[in-house]
Amino acid sequence: MTTVIDAHNVRKVYNPETVPVIAVNNVHLHIEKGEFTALVGPSGSGKTTLLNLIGGLDRPDAGNIIINDVNITSLSPNELIDFRLHNIGFVFQSFNLIPVLSARENVELIMQLQQVDKKEITDRVNKLFAEIGLSDKMNSRPAQLSGGQQQRVAVARALASRPKFILADEPTANLDSKSAANLLDIMLDLNKQEDMTFIFSTHDQRVIERARRVITLVDGQIASDTAAVDVRLKHEMSS
Amino acid sequence: MIILVMAWRNIWRNKVRSAIIMCSVAIGLVAGLFVLSLYKGILEDRVSTVIHTEVSHIQLHHPKFKEDYEAKFVVARTDSVLSKLRGVPGIKSISARTVSQGMLMTGTGSTGLQIIGVDLANEKLVSQLDSKIIEGAGFGGKRKNQIIIGKKLADKMHLQRGNKAVLTFIDPESNIVSAAFRIVGIYRTDNAPRDERLVYVQRDDLNSLLAIGASAHEIAIILDDVNSVEATASSIKALFENMQVETWSEISPETKLMIDTTDSYSNIFIMIIMLALSFGIINTMLMAVLERSREIGMLLAVGMNRAKIFSMILTETIFLTLTGTPLGILITWLIVQIYQTKGIDISSIGGMTMSEFGFSSMIYPAFPWEKMPNELMIVTGAALFSALIPAIKAIRLKPVEALQK
Repeated sequence: MTTVIDAHNVRKVYNPETVPVIAVNNVHLHIEKGEFTALVGPSGSGKTTLLNLIGGLDRPDAGNIIINDVNITSLSPNELIDFRLHNIGFVFQSFNLIPVLSARENVELIMQLQQVDKKEITDRVNKLFAEIGLSDKMNSRPAQLSGGQQQRVAVARALASRPKFILADEPTANLDSKSAANLLDIMLDLNKQEDMTFIFSTHDQRVIERARRVITLVDGQIASDTAAVDVRLKHEMSS
Repeated sequence: MIILVMAWRNIWRNKVRSAIIMCSVAIGLVAGLFVLSLYKGILEDRVSTVIHTEVSHIQLHHPKFKEDYEAKFVVARTDSVLSKLRGVPGIKSISARTVSQGMLMTGTGSTGLQIIGVDLANEKLVSQLDSKIIEGAGFGGKRKNQIIIGKKLADKMHLQRGNKAVLTFIDPESNIVSAAFRIVGIYRTDNAPRDERLVYVQRDDLNSLLAIGASAHEIAIILDDVNSVEATASSIKALFENMQVETWSEISPETKLMIDTTDSYSNIFIMIIMLALSFGIINTMLMAVLERSREIGMLLAVGMNRAKIFSMILTETIFLTLTGTPLGILITWLIVQIYQTKGIDISSIGGMTMSEFGFSSMIYPAFPWEKMPNELMIVTGAALFSALIPAIKAIRLKPVEALQK
């Protein structure tokens, strides 16, 4: 097994000098390659903050986060941007596609930032759109797509950079049940076929039921975590 | 490439707001460029007046003549000089002039002036004197001692065509010479002070009174091409090493200075306009950055570095500013097309004030194409200046905070 994320004693406090709010409190987290993990918990439990810390979008006040043997807490802001570009895929709750770019251009953008060869970009974009079932919508602008379709494009964008793992913050929150189920099918397929690691926060019970590992956060601390062995068993049974 | 595409499409996200900025840039440029067109028209007219009415392209003198305008310092062997000059390529017309400082006296008063002795047939090819005569027909017949005076002098001294006036001047031997001249014509140019100061007589008459034979004090030359002034002047200097050879810009340095300073003024003028417009552009771009905070946060999150975000905002601002530029240039060009032949008469605004300073009261604007590279640089500079604050604001966004907006 390859360790993708190793977080030790991670702590994040907002407003430390006025009204301190402990968003994440001494969290230890170990994620292996190929996991399909749901972070669950009530609002304010620290799910999004933990995702932001793992994704290098925010810095912890204490602790270390090691991704692929790189301690991201010691990286400079510019190094972090570059690290995110090459290692982490993001899927946001409200899709966050660039409205002035077509679906294809939104996906290509990441690879252009990585300075990937033009032919490789074309091949990969075509493959990704086939995987998400939107080959016929590649040239549509985000406004011409449904919410579910936009979120599928966002998943394709997250995958485009060939990241080590994908972080998704409430990916199904703005989708109807059919679109949510469809998105989850795609994510699970990618998880099985490409061994892509997914970590997502969610409130959706149907999503939680399909997760192979569920980590419950309460008041910034891990209240429960399904065992790694259980995760593997569940994975083998479902496949 | 994707940054260029995004920047171009981003400016059309809020069409009304962008159109307002583009129109502001266009209107600002119309104002600035039209004033430059007026300046250019005025200057071209002034240079043309200086060359074709006042000093010609090149002048030759005895090296000491212009120190005190003493009659004894004539161009030696004038006929031979004229003959050699006719062989110099590029020379269109030549006029030999006899020049004397003197006094004009009438029954009502006297005034100091410069007396120019000319052969009207040659002079009209150099200074177009005949076309400036507004009363009378110029020198005619075999009658001696005819004089053409300026309108301003005529008004000042209450002189009319047919009146007599006495000219007094110094001959080469320093004797005072006086003679009565009959006014056969009154001329008017765009330079009123000059009209008051210069009178024209026939060269033969003046030479006879000065007893200088066929000599002249000044040889004025008009060339086929204004751009060959320096080259032709060099050729003439090589031919006549003992003479003072001057170009129009050396004889009239104030005109040259005016051209040079106007260039600087016009750049400053456009800069002020663009600086004023910059604040509107800054405001628009700040609003655009504020509205797109989440999007910029997302770009930072997925790995677009700050240099690329900065250049995207910069490019967007340059596009926004430069898109209005062709419109401004086109509108100005159209306005100039209308007025460059029709002219703008400002005599009703300033009366004859312009001619008191040697300028025509009719302005024929000329589009300043040669200033376009400079103006485009100023516009681009204004765009870069305007982009700085919004771009800095954009790169200072923290992705985690921007994504929550």
